[in-house]
Amino acid sequence: MVRFKSRYLLCEISFASPNGWQHVEEKKLHRAILEAIQKAHGDFGVACCAVSFAVKYLNTYTGILLLRCRKAHYRLLWSTLAFIHQLGKKETCAITCIHVGGTIRTCQKFLIGYNRQQLLRKLPTCKSEAERTALQEAVRSCTLQELQEDVVSASEEDSN
Amino acid sequence: MACHERMEDDSGKYERIVHKNGSSYHYLKISLEFEEDTSIRLNSAQFKQLIISSLKQLFGEIGAALPFDVLQFEENTLSAVLRVYNRDLVKVWSALTLLGSYQSEMCAFRVQQVSPFLLALCGNSRTLKLE
Repeated sequence: MVRFKSRYLLCEISFASPNGWQHVEEKKLHRAILEAIQKAHGDFGVACCAVSFAVKYLNTYTGILLLRCRKAHYRLLWSTLAFIHQLGKKETCAITCIHVGGTIRTCQKFLIGYNRQQLLRKLPTCKSEAERTALQEAVRSCTLQELQEDVVSASEEDSN
Repeated sequence: MACHERMEDDSGKYERIVHKNGSSYHYLKISLEFEEDTSIRLNSAQFKQLIISSLKQLFGEIGAALPFDVLQFEENTLSAVLRVYNRDLVKVWSALTLLGSYQSEMCAFRVQQVSPFLLALCGNSRTLKLE
């Protein structure tokens, strides 16, 4: 059974200036990454990676980016991400890969855990009391929910 | 990787040494041919730059940074001996193959001989003259 296997690179973009975020779009990113591959790996790199290359998901609030590539050439794409330092001659940015998965679902699982960690990391850097309470509420909502499910399932078992 | 065998024999002891990947380099004997008879002359630096530009076109900045040496260069015949590492042979050879022009003159690299040992490039059965 022949199937096209792909690798999904879960990346995080960070910008030097806070206004960098307005200009980021999926198509622009797509073109910028292909240009970077052309520069770093030449015609061979573009031919390898561009076949099944897509920007699958972009979140401008958290800076999370999901790229798809063929399984055979994902390392070419991964190494190119280190060379990307600006998008469209304006904003300086840096892209780091935080996870490589075989399916979107595994990347999503990782992202949920990663976001939870990031919430906890941001807690000490809160500047105002309102921010702090909002963050604590967010952390509680994504951790307490699991406990409730346990409680619900325990009570179901009891009743059964 | 070398492998040693020792045989105890009446005729005397012998030792067999097998080298896999005996050399970490490959040597290419190449020549640059122009389509029409032109008066273009290159020196060794321009020759190396031409190969690097072909690598850059095909394999990008990373390809252009592949280390290789022009061990010998003859200006009259535009032929040279290159030395590349084993892992870079395929990339350099394919870049040589795909080069099409120099200063808008059509040209091509002819790869005459490739060997992991430099000594093999000095004698060639193709150029052997039978009297």
